Amino acid sequence: MSAHQDPSSAEGRQYRHEGPRNHYITFILSILLTIFAFAAVIYGDLDRGFVLWFLSILAIVQAVFQVVYWMHMKDRGHAYAILYISMGALIALTAFAAAAFWMWW
Amino acid sequence: MSSVHDTAGRLPAEPEKATLEGRNKILGFWLFLAAEVVLFGTLFASFITLRNQVPEGPTADELFKLSTVAISTFILLTSSLTSVLGTISLHRHNLSGLLGWMTVTVLLGLAFLGLEVYEFVEYVHEGHQFTSSAFATSFYTLVGFHGAHVLFGVLWITTLILQAFRKGLTVVTAPKFYVAGLYWHFIDVVWVFIFTIVYLMGKVG
Amino acid sequence: MAHSHAVKRYSGIMDWLTTVDHKKIGILYLAAGALFFILGGIEALLIRLQLLYPNQDLFVGETFNQLLTMHGTTMIFLAAMPLVFGFMNAVVPLQIGARDVAFPFVNALGFWLFFLGGVLLNLSWFLGGAPDAGWTAYPPLASSQFSGTGVDFYVLGLQISGIGSLIGAINFLVTIINMRAPGMSFMRMPLFTWTSFVTSTLILFAFPALTVGLVELMFDRIFGGAFYEVAKGGNVVLWQHLFWIFGHPEVYILVLPAFGIISEVVSTFSKKRLFGYSSMVFATVLIGFLAFMTWVHHMFTTGLGPIANAIFSVATMAIAIPTGVKIFNWLFTMWGGQIRFTTANLWAVGFIPSFVIGGMTGVMLAAPPADYQYHDTYFVVGHFHYVIVGGVVFGLFAGAYYWWPKMFGRLLNETLGKWHFWTFFIGFHLTFFPQHFLGLMGMPRRVFTYLPNQGLDEGNFISSIGAFLMGVGTLVFLVNIVVSASKKYAASADPWDGRTLEWSISSPAPEYNFAQTPLVRGLDALWKEKMAGNKGMTPAEPLGPIHMPSPSIMPLVMSIGLFIAGFGFMYHQYVLCVIGIGITFVCMLLRSIFDDHGWHIEKEELEKKGAEA
Repeated sequence: MSAHQDPSSAEGRQYRHEGPRNHYITFILSILLTIFAFAAVIYGDLDRGFVLWFLSILAIVQAVFQVVYWMHMKDRGHAYAILYISMGALIALTAFAAAAFWMWW
Repeated sequence: MSSVHDTAGRLPAEPEKATLEGRNKILGFWLFLAAEVVLFGTLFASFITLRNQVPEGPTADELFKLSTVAISTFILLTSSLTSVLGTISLHRHNLSGLLGWMTVTVLLGLAFLGLEVYEFVEYVHEGHQFTSSAFATSFYTLVGFHGAHVLFGVLWITTLILQAFRKGLTVVTAPKFYVAGLYWHFIDVVWVFIFTIVYLMGKVG
Repeated sequence: MAHSHAVKRYSGIMDWLTTVDHKKIGILYLAAGALFFILGGIEALLIRLQLLYPNQDLFVGETFNQLLTMHGTTMIFLAAMPLVFGFMNAVVPLQIGARDVAFPFVNALGFWLFFLGGVLLNLSWFLGGAPDAGWTAYPPLASSQFSGTGVDFYVLGLQISGIGSLIGAINFLVTIINMRAPGMSFMRMPLFTWTSFVTSTLILFAFPALTVGLVELMFDRIFGGAFYEVAKGGNVVLWQHLFWIFGHPEVYILVLPAFGIISEVVSTFSKKRLFGYSSMVFATVLIGFLAFMTWVHHMFTTGLGPIANAIFSVATMAIAIPTGVKIFNWLFTMWGGQIRFTTANLWAVGFIPSFVIGGMTGVMLAAPPADYQYHDTYFVVGHFHYVIVGGVVFGLFAGAYYWWPKMFGRLLNETLGKWHFWTFFIGFHLTFFPQHFLGLMGMPRRVFTYLPNQGLDEGNFISSIGAFLMGVGTLVFLVNIVVSASKKYAASADPWDGRTLEWSISSPAPEYNFAQTPLVRGLDALWKEKMAGNKGMTPAEPLGPIHMPSPSIMPLVMSIGLFIAGFGFMYHQYVLCVIGIGITFVCMLLRSIFDDHGWHIEKEELEKKGAEA
C-alpha cells in the first residue's frame, strides 16, 4: 500500500508506484465471482435461461476487472490497447453470437 | 542497446517503457493479444455450436467434475495474482522479488497443467475421446489450445527467469518480463470463459 | 549472433537471405509475389484454353478442379497479398520518416514464412496432386472422405503463410503508431500509410478466424476429428462462417492498399492535393469496420433465413457508400488539376471505371433474392475479377510504375508501359465483361466444359481471347523490367515532383533512409516545404550515428522448421513435426537469450554521403 516515491526521473517529477492493494482486491473479487458462478450451477433449482445469462455476466465482469487492473489497462498510455482489445472483443462476440443463435434451426 | 540510466545510475521508473524498443514490444504484444481474442472467440464459437452434438460417448453433464475445475481455477487465478506481484517488484526494481514471484507463477502453472492432463486421461478412459463426437473434438481443441498456451507461458517465463540471473534487471530485460506478465493474465482471462462456458454451462445444459 | 562490436555484413545471396532491411524485404515480397502471379496466370490461361470451345478435353475433371483451386488460392494468398505487403514494406517507413519498421527481424520472418508456405502449397503439384476443393475448401468436399492429399497441402501451406501475414500486420501497426517523424500527426499521414494502417488492423482480426478454420479442417483430416463430420454431430456450415469471417475482410485487405496507391498517384499526377482528405480517412476506417459485418453475403443460399439475409444485405450495400465517397474524391482531385498521363496515372484512371463496374455488380449480388439466381454462376466470377483485377491489380501496377524509381533507382520505360497498359486493360475487359452475361444465361462456376449452342459459345471464346491478351500485357511488363534494369542512367530522387516524404531522399533510398529524421509541418509534407521555397525537408535532429539492426539467417531457418513440421503433419510422420517445431522454438530461444546489439553507421559516413549527394 505504500506510495513509493522514486526520485529517478530526470525531470524531477515524482512517479508514485501503485501498491498491490488493487491487485489483491481484484483477486478476492475474482474468487467471489467464481464462487457465485459455481453456486448458481450447483444449486440446481434456478431457471436454465437465467443461469446462462448470469454466468455470462459474471464471467465478463471478472474478465474486465482482471484486464483493467492486472493488465494495467487503467494506467495512462493504454489507449491503443483499449481500442484494439475492444475491437477484437466485439468481433469475437459477433462470431460467438452468430454461433450461439444461428447454427441450428 | 546498453542500459539506460539517469545521471545517478538508477533504472528509470518504468524500465519496460524507457526505450522505444520496449514501448514497441508492449504495444505489439497488446495487438497480438487482440488477435488472440478473436482466435479464442472463434474457438469458443465452434465449441458453442457443437457442445450438444454427442451421438456417441458421455455428455458434458456426465463427464465434468466441478471440484476439479474449481481447484484448477483457483490455481490459475492465484498464479495470475503472483505474476502481477512480480510486475510490481519489477517497478520497484526488486530483482529477487520479481524472480521469486515468477517462479511461484511457473510452479502454479505446472500444477494447473498436471491437473488438466490427469483430467483428460480420466475422460479418455470414460469414452470421451478426440474422435468420439463433434462435442469431444471441439472440447479437446478449445481446452487443449488453452493448455498449450499455458505450457508455452511456463516455458517462456522459465527462460526469462534463467536469463535474468545472468543479465539482471535492465531496460532490455524489463519489457520481456512485462510482456510475459500480460500473456499470463490473458490466459487466465481465457480460462474464466472456459470454466464458465465449457464446464459450468455444460453442467446446466 | 552478433557481438556488440563486430559488424556482420553479408553480400550477394547471403545478403538477401539474412536481410532485415524493410526495403530489401519489400523487394523480396514483390519478386515472390510476381513469381506466383505468373504461376497463377498460367493456371488461368490453361483454364481459359480449356473453355475456349465447348466440349474440349484438354484439362478435365480433377485436373481442371486442381487448376481452378490453385489459380484462386495462388492469386489471392501468394500473389496479391505479398505484392501488397511488398509495397507497404517499401513505402510506409519512408512516408512516415522512419528508418525501418518496428520489428525488422519479425519483418524478415514474415516474408520467409509466407514464401515457404507458398512453396509448400505448390509442391502439391508434384506430390500427388494439388488441392481440388476450390480456394474456399468447403467440407464435406474438402474432408478426407471426398478429396485427396492436395487439401492437406492447402491447409498447412496457408497456415504457415498466414502466420507470416499476421506478424507482418502487427509490425506495420506498431511502426505507424509509434515511429512517425516529429510533426506527423495521424491526420498528416499520406493516404497510402492510412490504408496500410487500416489494412493491418483488418489482417490482425481476420486471420485468426482463418487459422481456427484451418486448424479444425486439419484436425478432421489428419487426426480424425469431427468438427465437420455430420455423422458425429459436426456442422459443415461452421466452416463457411469461419472461412467467410476471414474471407470477406480479406478482400478489403487486398483492395484498401490499392485505394491508397490510387490516392497517391492521382494527386501527384494532377499536381493537386487529394480532395477531401478527412473524408477519405473516415471512409477508409468505415470500410474497414463494415468489412467485418458482411460475411454472410457469401452464404445467402445456405438457409439462414430471410432476417439474417436481410441484415447482411443492408450491411453489404452500406459499404458501397464510403467506397463511393472515395471514387468521387478521386474525380474531384483530378478536376481542375494539371493532369499528366504517365503510365502510373493511366493505371489509376483505368482503375476508376473498372472498379466501379465491379462494385456495381457487387451491389446487385447483395440482394438475396437476386443472389439466388447469381450464386455459383459466372456472374459472380465476373464481379470479383472486376474488383480484384480491375481494382487491386490495376492499383498494384500503378504503384509499380510510380515507386519503381524509389526502389530500384531506375524508371520503367514509359512507351513499354503504355503498351502494357492498353493490352492488359483491353484484355481484361474482353475476358471478364462477357462473363456477367454467361452467368446470367446460366453457366455455372467451376465447370470444366459446357455444351455447344446454348448461347455460351461466343462469350467463352471472347473471354479466352481476352485472357491471352492479358498474358501478352504481362509479358510486356516483364520485358519492361528487364529493359529498365539495363539502363545506364539513374533516376533522380524526385522524378515525379512528388508530395510525400519518400521523394525527399535519394533513389534508391539509402540504407538508413533518412540521414536526419525530418520535421513534418503539414499534410503532403514534402510539398509543403516546396511551396515554402525549400529544397528539401528541415531536419528534426542533429547528424549523429545511426543504429542499425543486425542481419540474421534465423528467420529463414525458423520458416524451414515450420515447413518441415508441415510435411510431418501431412504424412503422419510426427518425428518430423517434433524436429521442425523444435528448430523453430530453439531459434526463438536463441533470439531471446542473445540480444542483438546491432551496428552503427557513423556520423562521418553520413557527412561524406551528404557531400556526395
